[in-house]
Amino acid sequence: MYELASFLFPLLLFVALWEIFAHTGLVKPILLPPPSKILKRLLIEAGKGAGEIGLADHLLNSLYRLVIGFSTGAMVGALSGLGMGMNRWIYGYLNPVITVLMPVPGITWTPILVLVLGFGDPTLITVTFIASFFPVAYNTAAGVRSVKRDHIWAGKIMGVDRMGTVFKILIPSSAPYIITGLKLGLARGWRTLIACEMIAAALTGIGFWIFDAKEYLKTDVIYGGIIVMAMVFVIIDRIGFGYLERQTIEKWGMSADIG
Amino acid sequence: MLIFILPLASLVIIWWTVYWMGLIRVLPSPIEVAGTMVSRWRILLRDLGSSAVRIAAGFCLAMVIGIPVGLLMGTNRYVHFLLRPILTLLLPVPTLAWVPILLIMWGVGDQTIIFAIFLGGFFSIAYNTATGVRGIDQDLILAARIMGASRRELFAKVLLPGSMVSVLAGLRLAIGYSWRALVGAEMLAAASAGLGFRVFNSWRFVAVDVMFASLVIIMAIGFIMERFLVEPLERRTVKRWGMIRV
Repeated sequence: MYELASFLFPLLLFVALWEIFAHTGLVKPILLPPPSKILKRLLIEAGKGAGEIGLADHLLNSLYRLVIGFSTGAMVGALSGLGMGMNRWIYGYLNPVITVLMPVPGITWTPILVLVLGFGDPTLITVTFIASFFPVAYNTAAGVRSVKRDHIWAGKIMGVDRMGTVFKILIPSSAPYIITGLKLGLARGWRTLIACEMIAAALTGIGFWIFDAKEYLKTDVIYGGIIVMAMVFVIIDRIGFGYLERQTIEKWGMSADIG
Repeated sequence: MLIFILPLASLVIIWWTVYWMGLIRVLPSPIEVAGTMVSRWRILLRDLGSSAVRIAAGFCLAMVIGIPVGLLMGTNRYVHFLLRPILTLLLPVPTLAWVPILLIMWGVGDQTIIFAIFLGGFFSIAYNTATGVRGIDQDLILAARIMGASRRELFAKVLLPGSMVSVLAGLRLAIGYSWRALVGAEMLAAASAGLGFRVFNSWRFVAVDVMFASLVIIMAIGFIMERFLVEPLERRTVKRWGMIRV
Protein backbone atom coordinates (compact mmCIF):
# COMPACT_ATOMS: atom_id res chain seq x y z
CA MET A 1 0.00 0.00 0.00
CA TYR A 2 2.81 2.36 0.96
CA GLU A 3 4.61 1.21 -2.16
CA LEU A 4 1.65 2.21 -4.33
CA ALA A 5 1.26 5.57 -2.59
CA SER A 6 4.93 6.42 -2.97
CA PHE A 7 4.63 5.55 -6.64
CA LEU A 8 1.49 7.58 -7.26
CA PHE A 9 2.30 10.66 -5.19
CA PRO A 10 5.20 11.93 -7.35
CA LEU A 11 3.12 11.28 -10.44
CA LEU A 12 0.22 13.31 -9.11
CA LEU A 13 2.61 16.07 -8.12
CA PHE A 14 4.09 16.01 -11.59
CA VAL A 15 0.66 16.17 -13.22
CA ALA A 16 -0.35 19.06 -10.95
CA LEU A 17 2.82 21.02 -11.83
CA TRP A 18 2.25 20.29 -15.49
CA GLU A 19 -1.33 21.56 -15.25
CA ILE A 20 -0.21 24.80 -13.61
CA PHE A 21 2.68 25.25 -16.00
CA ALA A 22 0.46 24.66 -19.02
CA HIS A 23 -1.87 27.42 -17.86
CA THR A 24 0.90 29.99 -17.43
CA GLY A 25 1.17 30.22 -21.19
CA LEU A 26 4.98 30.04 -21.21
CA VAL A 27 4.75 27.18 -23.74
CA LYS A 28 2.28 27.25 -26.58
CA PRO A 29 -0.80 25.30 -25.47
CA ILE A 30 -0.69 23.32 -28.69
CA LEU A 31 2.72 21.93 -27.75
CA LEU A 32 1.92 21.23 -24.13
CA PRO A 33 -1.80 20.86 -23.48
CA PRO A 34 -2.78 20.67 -19.80
CA PRO A 35 -3.41 17.15 -18.41
CA SER A 36 -7.08 17.99 -17.83
CA LYS A 37 -7.53 18.54 -21.57
CA ILE A 38 -5.69 15.28 -22.36
CA LEU A 39 -7.87 13.37 -19.93
CA LYS A 40 -10.99 14.89 -21.43
CA ARG A 41 -9.83 13.90 -24.91
CA LEU A 42 -9.08 10.36 -23.73
CA LEU A 43 -12.55 10.07 -22.22
CA ILE A 44 -14.16 11.35 -25.41
CA GLU A 45 -12.14 8.92 -27.51
CA ALA A 46 -12.85 6.05 -25.13
CA GLY A 47 -16.57 6.81 -25.19
CA LYS A 48 -16.91 6.67 -28.97
CA GLY A 49 -19.63 4.23 -29.88
CA ALA A 50 -20.27 1.89 -32.78
CA GLY A 51 -19.56 3.27 -36.24
CA GLU A 52 -16.68 5.44 -35.10
CA ILE A 53 -13.12 4.37 -34.47
CA GLY A 54 -12.33 5.21 -30.85
CA LEU A 55 -9.58 4.57 -28.37
CA ALA A 56 -10.88 1.08 -27.61
CA ASP A 57 -10.66 0.03 -31.28
CA HIS A 58 -7.12 1.35 -31.64
CA LEU A 59 -5.97 -0.25 -28.44
CA LEU A 60 -7.62 -3.60 -29.09
CA ASN A 61 -6.24 -3.74 -32.62
CA SER A 62 -2.72 -3.03 -31.38
CA LEU A 63 -3.03 -5.60 -28.62
CA TYR A 64 -4.42 -8.19 -31.03
CA ARG A 65 -1.40 -7.74 -33.32
CA LEU A 66 0.96 -7.78 -30.36
CA VAL A 67 -0.51 -10.96 -28.89
CA ILE A 68 -0.38 -12.92 -32.16
CA GLY A 69 3.00 -11.57 -33.27
CA PHE A 70 4.67 -11.94 -29.90
CA SER A 71 3.28 -15.36 -29.01
CA THR A 72 4.31 -16.91 -32.32
CA GLY A 73 7.65 -15.08 -32.26
CA ALA A 74 8.35 -16.21 -28.71
CA MET A 75 7.34 -19.79 -29.50
CA VAL A 76 9.53 -20.08 -32.58
CA GLY A 77 12.29 -18.16 -30.79
CA ALA A 78 12.26 -20.43 -27.75
CA LEU A 79 12.30 -23.55 -29.93
CA SER A 80 15.18 -22.21 -32.02
CA GLY A 81 17.06 -21.23 -28.88
CA LEU A 82 16.51 -24.67 -27.41
CA GLY A 83 17.74 -26.26 -30.62
CA MET A 84 20.77 -23.97 -30.65
CA GLY A 85 21.55 -24.86 -27.07
CA MET A 86 21.29 -28.59 -27.63
CA ASN A 87 22.84 -29.09 -31.04
CA ARG A 88 26.03 -27.43 -32.18
CA TRP A 89 25.16 -27.70 -35.87
CA ILE A 90 21.99 -25.71 -35.32
CA TYR A 91 24.00 -23.28 -33.21
CA GLY A 92 26.67 -22.97 -35.87
CA TYR A 93 24.08 -22.13 -38.48
CA LEU A 94 21.73 -19.88 -36.57
CA ASN A 95 24.27 -17.97 -34.48
CA PRO A 96 25.75 -15.92 -37.36
CA VAL A 97 22.30 -15.35 -38.82
CA ILE A 98 20.97 -14.06 -35.49
CA THR A 99 24.08 -11.98 -34.82
CA VAL A 100 23.69 -10.18 -38.12
CA LEU A 101 19.90 -9.84 -38.21
CA MET A 102 19.20 -9.05 -34.55
CA PRO A 103 20.59 -5.47 -34.56
CA VAL A 104 18.50 -4.56 -37.61
CA PRO A 105 15.76 -2.24 -36.38
CA GLY A 106 12.46 -4.06 -36.83
CA ILE A 107 10.94 -1.07 -38.59
CA THR A 108 13.29 -1.50 -41.58
CA TRP A 109 11.54 -4.73 -42.51
CA THR A 110 8.27 -2.90 -42.93
CA PRO A 111 8.81 -1.56 -46.48
CA ILE A 112 9.77 -5.01 -47.77
CA LEU A 113 6.89 -6.70 -46.02
CA VAL A 114 4.44 -4.13 -47.35
CA LEU A 115 5.63 -4.90 -50.87
CA VAL A 116 5.01 -8.60 -50.26
CA LEU A 117 2.03 -8.69 -47.91
CA GLY A 118 0.45 -5.29 -48.49
CA PHE A 119 -0.76 -2.83 -45.86
CA GLY A 120 -2.53 -4.14 -42.84
CA ASP A 121 -2.46 -6.82 -40.20
CA PRO A 122 -0.32 -9.45 -41.98
CA THR A 123 2.58 -6.99 -42.31
CA LEU A 124 2.24 -5.62 -38.78
CA ILE A 125 1.98 -9.05 -37.20
CA THR A 126 4.97 -10.32 -39.16
CA VAL A 127 7.09 -7.36 -38.08
CA THR A 128 6.11 -7.95 -34.44
CA PHE A 129 6.97 -11.62 -34.92
CA ILE A 130 10.44 -10.77 -36.27
CA ALA A 131 11.13 -8.25 -33.51
CA SER A 132 10.09 -10.66 -30.74
CA PHE A 133 11.84 -13.68 -32.21
CA PHE A 134 15.47 -12.55 -31.91
CA PRO A 135 15.76 -11.64 -28.21
CA VAL A 136 13.90 -14.81 -27.22
CA ALA A 137 16.03 -17.07 -29.42
CA TYR A 138 19.28 -15.39 -28.38
CA ASN A 139 18.60 -15.52 -24.65
CA THR A 140 17.17 -19.02 -24.67
CA ALA A 141 20.26 -20.26 -26.50
CA ALA A 142 22.53 -18.49 -23.99
CA GLY A 143 20.52 -20.00 -21.14
CA VAL A 144 20.55 -23.56 -22.41
CA ARG A 145 24.25 -23.31 -23.18
CA SER A 146 24.91 -22.14 -19.63
CA VAL A 147 23.35 -25.28 -18.10
CA LYS A 148 26.02 -27.26 -16.28
CA ARG A 149 27.08 -30.41 -18.11
CA ASP A 150 27.14 -32.19 -14.75
CA HIS A 151 23.42 -31.71 -14.34
CA ILE A 152 22.70 -33.22 -17.73
CA TRP A 153 25.04 -36.15 -17.06
CA ALA A 154 23.56 -36.67 -13.62
CA GLY A 155 20.14 -36.82 -15.23
CA LYS A 156 21.34 -39.29 -17.84
CA ILE A 157 22.91 -41.55 -15.23
CA MET A 158 19.68 -41.55 -13.32
CA GLY A 159 17.87 -42.67 -16.46
CA VAL A 160 16.14 -39.48 -17.62
CA ASP A 161 15.11 -39.70 -21.27
CA ARG A 162 15.41 -36.91 -23.87
CA MET A 163 12.09 -35.29 -23.08
CA GLY A 164 12.91 -35.43 -19.38
CA THR A 165 16.24 -33.74 -20.03
CA VAL A 166 14.53 -30.93 -21.90
CA PHE A 167 11.63 -30.35 -19.54
CA LYS A 168 13.17 -31.23 -16.18
CA ILE A 169 16.74 -29.98 -16.62
CA LEU A 170 17.31 -27.63 -19.56
CA ILE A 171 14.21 -25.46 -19.39
CA PRO A 172 14.08 -24.98 -15.60
CA SER A 173 17.83 -24.27 -15.39
CA SER A 174 17.69 -21.66 -18.13
CA ALA A 175 14.40 -20.12 -16.95
CA PRO A 176 15.96 -16.79 -15.85
CA TYR A 177 17.44 -16.34 -19.32
CA ILE A 178 14.25 -17.40 -21.07
CA ILE A 179 12.17 -14.98 -19.00
CA THR A 180 14.63 -12.16 -19.67
CA GLY A 181 14.39 -13.03 -23.36
CA LEU A 182 10.60 -13.00 -23.25
CA LYS A 183 10.60 -9.61 -21.53
CA LEU A 184 13.00 -8.13 -24.06
CA GLY A 185 11.07 -9.76 -26.89
CA LEU A 186 7.77 -8.32 -25.72
CA ALA A 187 9.28 -4.86 -25.29
CA ARG A 188 10.87 -4.97 -28.74
CA GLY A 189 7.75 -6.38 -30.35
CA TRP A 190 5.66 -3.61 -28.79
CA ARG A 191 8.04 -0.80 -29.79
CA THR A 192 8.35 -2.11 -33.31
CA LEU A 193 4.62 -2.62 -33.71
CA ILE A 194 3.86 0.97 -32.67
CA ALA A 195 6.53 2.27 -35.04
CA CYS A 196 5.20 0.19 -37.93
CA GLU A 197 1.65 1.31 -37.34
CA MET A 198 2.98 4.80 -37.94
CA ILE A 199 4.54 4.15 -41.33
CA ALA A 200 2.44 1.30 -42.72
CA ALA A 201 -0.79 3.26 -42.44
CA ALA A 202 -3.03 0.68 -40.91
CA LEU A 203 -6.07 2.89 -40.17
CA THR A 204 -6.25 1.43 -36.68
CA GLY A 205 -3.80 0.93 -33.84
CA ILE A 206 -2.31 3.22 -31.20
CA GLY A 207 0.70 4.03 -33.36
CA PHE A 208 -1.47 5.04 -36.28
CA TRP A 209 -3.76 6.98 -33.96
CA ILE A 210 -1.04 9.28 -32.60
CA PHE A 211 0.72 9.69 -35.93
CA ASP A 212 -2.53 10.58 -37.66
CA ALA A 213 -3.31 13.07 -34.88
CA LYS A 214 -0.16 14.96 -35.86
CA GLU A 215 -1.77 15.90 -39.18
CA TYR A 216 -4.52 17.75 -37.32
CA LEU A 217 -2.20 19.09 -34.60
CA LYS A 218 -4.18 17.17 -31.99
CA THR A 219 -1.38 17.09 -29.43
CA ASP A 220 -3.79 16.04 -26.70
CA VAL A 221 -4.33 12.80 -28.61
CA ILE A 222 -0.58 12.25 -28.95
CA TYR A 223 0.10 12.76 -25.23
CA GLY A 224 -2.96 10.67 -24.42
CA GLY A 225 -1.64 7.89 -26.64
CA ILE A 226 1.75 8.00 -24.93
CA ILE A 227 0.08 7.78 -21.51
CA VAL A 228 -2.07 4.84 -22.64
CA MET A 229 0.99 3.04 -24.05
CA ALA A 230 2.95 3.54 -20.84
CA MET A 231 0.10 2.25 -18.70
CA VAL A 232 -0.67 -0.74 -20.89
CA PHE A 233 2.93 -1.84 -20.91
CA VAL A 234 3.43 -1.43 -17.17
CA ILE A 235 0.29 -3.48 -16.56
CA ILE A 236 1.41 -6.27 -18.90
CA ASP A 237 4.90 -6.26 -17.45
CA ARG A 238 3.93 -6.14 -13.77
CA ILE A 239 0.95 -8.48 -13.83
CA GLY A 240 1.91 -10.87 -16.63
CA PHE A 241 5.61 -11.25 -15.97
CA GLY A 242 5.24 -10.73 -12.25
CA TYR A 243 2.97 -13.78 -12.14
CA LEU A 244 5.25 -15.82 -14.41
CA GLU A 245 8.28 -15.04 -12.26
CA ARG A 246 6.53 -15.86 -9.01
CA GLN A 247 5.37 -19.18 -10.43
CA THR A 248 8.76 -20.20 -11.76
CA ILE A 249 12.11 -18.69 -10.93
CA GLU A 250 11.22 -17.03 -7.63
CA LYS A 251 9.81 -20.30 -6.39
CA TRP A 252 13.02 -22.00 -7.45
CA GLY A 253 15.17 -19.36 -5.78
CA MET A 254 16.58 -17.78 -8.90
CA SER A 255 16.38 -14.23 -10.19
CA ALA A 256 15.80 -12.79 -13.63
CA ASP A 257 17.43 -9.49 -12.74
CA ILE A 258 20.24 -9.81 -15.21
CA GLY A 259 19.04 -7.13 -17.63
CA MET B 1 35.58 -16.87 -39.87
CA LEU B 2 34.52 -19.22 -42.65
CA ILE B 3 32.15 -20.95 -40.27
CA PHE B 4 30.61 -17.58 -39.61
CA ILE B 5 30.27 -16.63 -43.27
CA LEU B 6 28.85 -19.88 -44.66
CA PRO B 7 25.44 -19.57 -42.98
CA LEU B 8 25.18 -15.99 -44.19
CA ALA B 9 26.11 -17.04 -47.70
CA SER B 10 23.30 -19.58 -47.51
CA LEU B 11 20.89 -16.72 -46.81
CA VAL B 12 22.04 -14.99 -49.99
CA ILE B 13 21.53 -18.24 -51.88
CA ILE B 14 17.99 -18.54 -50.48
CA TRP B 15 17.37 -14.93 -51.51
CA TRP B 16 18.69 -15.66 -55.00
CA THR B 17 16.56 -18.80 -55.29
CA VAL B 18 13.44 -16.90 -54.28
CA TYR B 19 14.30 -14.29 -56.89
CA TRP B 20 15.00 -16.91 -59.56
CA MET B 21 11.77 -18.76 -58.93
CA GLY B 22 9.92 -15.45 -59.07
CA LEU B 23 8.04 -16.08 -55.82
CA ILE B 24 8.04 -12.39 -54.91
CA ARG B 25 7.34 -10.20 -57.88
CA VAL B 26 9.20 -7.06 -56.81
CA LEU B 27 12.26 -8.71 -55.27
CA PRO B 28 15.57 -7.61 -56.85
CA SER B 29 18.40 -10.11 -57.31
CA PRO B 30 21.46 -9.94 -55.02
CA ILE B 31 23.61 -9.05 -58.02
CA GLU B 32 21.36 -6.16 -58.95
CA VAL B 33 21.54 -4.86 -55.38
CA ALA B 34 25.33 -5.17 -55.32
CA GLY B 35 25.43 -3.26 -58.61
CA THR B 36 23.26 -0.53 -57.13
CA MET B 37 25.55 -0.26 -54.15
CA VAL B 38 28.49 0.27 -56.46
CA SER B 39 26.82 2.72 -58.83
CA ARG B 40 25.08 4.74 -56.10
CA TRP B 41 27.96 4.74 -53.64
CA ARG B 42 28.06 8.51 -53.42
CA ILE B 43 24.47 8.85 -52.22
CA LEU B 44 24.73 5.91 -49.88
CA LEU B 45 27.93 7.24 -48.35
CA ARG B 46 26.28 10.60 -47.76
CA ASP B 47 23.36 8.83 -46.07
CA LEU B 48 25.78 6.93 -43.91
CA GLY B 49 27.54 10.17 -42.96
CA SER B 50 24.32 11.98 -42.02
CA SER B 51 23.17 9.03 -39.94
CA ALA B 52 26.51 8.77 -38.17
CA VAL B 53 26.53 12.45 -37.21
CA ARG B 54 22.97 12.25 -35.92
CA ILE B 55 23.46 9.17 -33.81
CA ALA B 56 26.71 10.51 -32.38
CA ALA B 57 25.06 13.79 -31.42
CA GLY B 58 21.95 12.15 -29.95
CA PHE B 59 23.84 9.51 -28.05
CA CYS B 60 26.34 11.97 -26.56
CA LEU B 61 23.47 14.18 -25.48
CA ALA B 62 21.78 11.20 -23.83
CA MET B 63 25.00 10.30 -22.04
CA VAL B 64 25.82 13.84 -20.92
CA ILE B 65 22.34 14.35 -19.47
CA GLY B 66 21.42 10.78 -18.53
CA ILE B 67 24.42 9.93 -16.36
CA PRO B 68 24.20 13.06 -14.13
CA VAL B 69 20.44 12.59 -13.72
CA GLY B 70 21.03 8.97 -12.78
CA LEU B 71 23.79 9.90 -10.33
CA LEU B 72 21.56 12.51 -8.75
CA MET B 73 18.77 9.96 -8.43
CA GLY B 74 21.15 7.46 -6.95
CA THR B 75 22.66 9.76 -4.35
CA ASN B 76 19.68 11.85 -3.33
CA ARG B 77 16.66 9.96 -2.12
CA TYR B 78 14.25 12.86 -2.62
CA VAL B 79 15.18 13.10 -6.26
CA HIS B 80 14.86 9.34 -6.51
CA PHE B 81 11.44 9.40 -4.86
CA LEU B 82 10.20 12.06 -7.27
CA LEU B 83 11.67 10.78 -10.51
CA ARG B 84 11.44 7.00 -10.16
CA PRO B 85 7.72 6.63 -11.02
CA ILE B 86 8.09 8.93 -14.01
CA LEU B 87 11.09 7.05 -15.35
CA THR B 88 9.41 3.68 -14.73
CA LEU B 89 6.41 4.77 -16.76
CA LEU B 90 8.35 6.43 -19.57
CA LEU B 91 11.03 3.75 -19.97
CA PRO B 92 8.82 1.32 -21.92
CA VAL B 93 7.18 3.99 -24.11
CA PRO B 94 8.28 3.36 -27.71
CA THR B 95 10.75 6.10 -28.61
CA LEU B 96 9.04 6.77 -31.89
CA ALA B 97 5.84 7.67 -30.07
CA TRP B 98 7.48 11.02 -29.23
CA VAL B 99 8.19 11.76 -32.88
CA PRO B 100 4.71 13.15 -33.73
CA ILE B 101 5.10 15.80 -31.01
CA LEU B 102 8.63 16.61 -32.13
CA LEU B 103 7.38 16.92 -35.69
CA ILE B 104 4.77 19.44 -34.63
CA MET B 105 7.39 21.32 -32.64
CA TRP B 106 10.28 21.36 -35.09
CA GLY B 107 9.10 19.80 -38.34
CA VAL B 108 11.26 17.37 -40.30
CA GLY B 109 14.99 17.68 -39.90
CA ASP B 110 18.05 16.96 -37.82
CA GLN B 111 16.73 18.51 -34.63
CA THR B 112 13.77 16.13 -34.46
CA ILE B 113 15.88 13.08 -35.27
CA ILE B 114 18.64 13.92 -32.80
CA PHE B 115 16.12 14.55 -30.05
CA ALA B 116 14.42 11.22 -30.78
CA ILE B 117 17.78 9.46 -30.50
CA PHE B 118 18.39 11.32 -27.24
CA LEU B 119 15.05 10.13 -25.86
CA GLY B 120 15.86 6.58 -26.99
CA GLY B 121 19.08 6.50 -25.00
CA PHE B 122 18.33 8.81 -22.08
CA PHE B 123 15.87 6.68 -20.10
CA SER B 124 17.90 3.50 -20.00
CA ILE B 125 21.11 5.40 -19.16
CA ALA B 126 19.50 7.38 -16.33
CA TYR B 127 17.62 4.36 -15.00
CA ASN B 128 20.62 2.04 -14.99
CA THR B 129 22.96 4.64 -13.51
CA ALA B 130 20.52 5.24 -10.66
CA THR B 131 20.12 1.50 -10.09
CA GLY B 132 23.89 1.10 -10.06
CA VAL B 133 24.55 3.84 -7.52
CA ARG B 134 21.77 2.63 -5.26
CA GLY B 135 23.06 -0.92 -5.51
CA ILE B 136 26.41 0.00 -3.93
CA ASP B 137 26.90 -1.63 -0.56
CA GLN B 138 26.09 0.96 2.10
CA ASP B 139 28.96 -0.37 4.23
CA LEU B 140 31.45 0.71 1.57
CA ILE B 141 30.08 4.24 1.59
CA LEU B 142 30.10 4.36 5.41
CA ALA B 143 33.62 2.93 5.52
CA ALA B 144 34.86 5.58 3.12
CA ARG B 145 33.18 8.28 5.20
CA ILE B 146 34.68 7.01 8.44
CA MET B 147 38.09 7.06 6.85
CA GLY B 148 37.57 10.70 6.07
CA ALA B 149 36.74 10.71 2.38
CA SER B 150 35.57 14.08 1.13
CA ARG B 151 32.46 14.31 -1.00
CA ARG B 152 34.54 14.43 -4.12
CA GLU B 153 36.65 11.45 -3.11
CA LEU B 154 33.54 9.52 -2.16
CA PHE B 155 32.15 10.22 -5.57
CA ALA B 156 35.29 9.49 -7.58
CA LYS B 157 36.55 6.49 -5.62
CA VAL B 158 33.40 4.76 -4.39
CA LEU B 159 30.25 5.80 -6.19
CA LEU B 160 31.56 5.98 -9.73
CA PRO B 161 33.55 2.71 -9.79
CA GLY B 162 30.86 0.97 -7.78
CA SER B 163 28.14 1.82 -10.25
CA MET B 164 30.25 1.32 -13.39
CA VAL B 165 28.84 -2.11 -14.27
CA SER B 166 25.35 -0.77 -14.25
CA VAL B 167 26.25 2.46 -16.05
CA LEU B 168 27.91 0.51 -18.83
CA ALA B 169 24.96 -1.87 -19.00
CA GLY B 170 22.78 1.19 -19.48
CA LEU B 171 25.05 2.53 -22.21
CA ARG B 172 25.02 -0.83 -23.95
CA LEU B 173 21.22 -0.90 -23.96
CA ALA B 174 21.17 2.74 -25.04
CA ILE B 175 23.30 2.02 -28.10
CA GLY B 176 20.64 -0.39 -29.30
CA TYR B 177 17.77 1.97 -28.53
CA SER B 178 19.47 4.95 -30.20
CA TRP B 179 20.21 2.91 -33.28
CA ARG B 180 16.58 1.85 -33.59
CA ALA B 181 15.43 5.40 -32.87
CA LEU B 182 17.78 6.72 -35.54
CA VAL B 183 16.48 4.50 -38.32
CA GLY B 184 12.86 4.88 -37.28
CA ALA B 185 13.03 8.66 -36.84
CA GLU B 186 14.80 9.04 -40.17
CA MET B 187 11.96 7.18 -41.83
CA LEU B 188 9.41 9.54 -40.32
CA ALA B 189 11.29 12.81 -40.08
CA ALA B 190 14.34 13.07 -42.36
CA ALA B 191 14.32 15.80 -44.97
CA SER B 192 16.99 14.71 -47.40
CA ALA B 193 19.48 12.08 -46.27
CA GLY B 194 20.10 9.21 -43.88
CA LEU B 195 19.88 5.43 -44.04
CA GLY B 196 16.32 5.29 -42.73
CA PHE B 197 15.34 8.10 -45.07
CA ARG B 198 16.83 6.22 -48.03
CA VAL B 199 14.83 3.06 -47.23
CA PHE B 200 11.64 5.06 -46.83
CA ASN B 201 12.18 7.25 -49.86
CA SER B 202 13.09 4.41 -52.22
CA TRP B 203 10.07 2.54 -50.91
CA ARG B 204 7.80 5.44 -51.89
CA PHE B 205 9.26 5.49 -55.38
CA VAL B 206 9.39 1.69 -55.51
CA ALA B 207 13.13 1.81 -56.21
CA VAL B 208 13.46 -1.63 -54.69
CA ASP B 209 17.15 -2.05 -55.53
CA VAL B 210 18.10 1.11 -53.61
CA MET B 211 15.87 -0.02 -50.76
CA PHE B 212 17.64 -3.36 -50.50
CA ALA B 213 21.04 -1.72 -50.84
CA SER B 214 20.29 0.57 -47.88
CA LEU B 215 18.99 -2.42 -45.95
CA VAL B 216 22.20 -4.32 -46.50
CA ILE B 217 24.13 -1.29 -45.23
CA ILE B 218 21.88 -1.05 -42.17
CA MET B 219 22.55 -4.72 -41.47
CA ALA B 220 26.29 -4.22 -41.81
CA ILE B 221 26.33 -1.14 -39.56
CA GLY B 222 24.21 -2.88 -36.93
CA PHE B 223 26.57 -5.82 -36.97
CA ILE B 224 29.68 -3.62 -36.80
CA MET B 225 28.28 -1.65 -33.86
CA GLU B 226 27.37 -4.88 -32.09
CA ARG B 227 30.82 -6.37 -32.67
CA PHE B 228 33.04 -3.37 -32.04
CA LEU B 229 31.02 -1.33 -29.57
CA VAL B 230 28.61 -3.50 -27.63
CA GLU B 231 30.59 -6.72 -27.30
CA PRO B 232 33.84 -5.07 -26.14
CA LEU B 233 31.81 -3.09 -23.62
CA GLU B 234 30.32 -6.34 -22.42
CA ARG B 235 33.68 -8.13 -22.29
CA ARG B 236 35.36 -5.31 -20.39
CA THR B 237 32.64 -5.08 -17.82
CA VAL B 238 30.04 -7.70 -17.22
CA LYS B 239 32.20 -10.67 -18.06
CA ARG B 240 35.43 -9.42 -16.53
CA TRP B 241 33.72 -8.60 -13.27
CA GLY B 242 32.16 -12.03 -13.25
CA MET B 243 28.59 -10.88 -13.64
CA ILE B 244 26.06 -12.90 -15.55
CA ARG B 245 25.79 -12.26 -19.24
CA VAL B 246 22.58 -10.62 -20.30
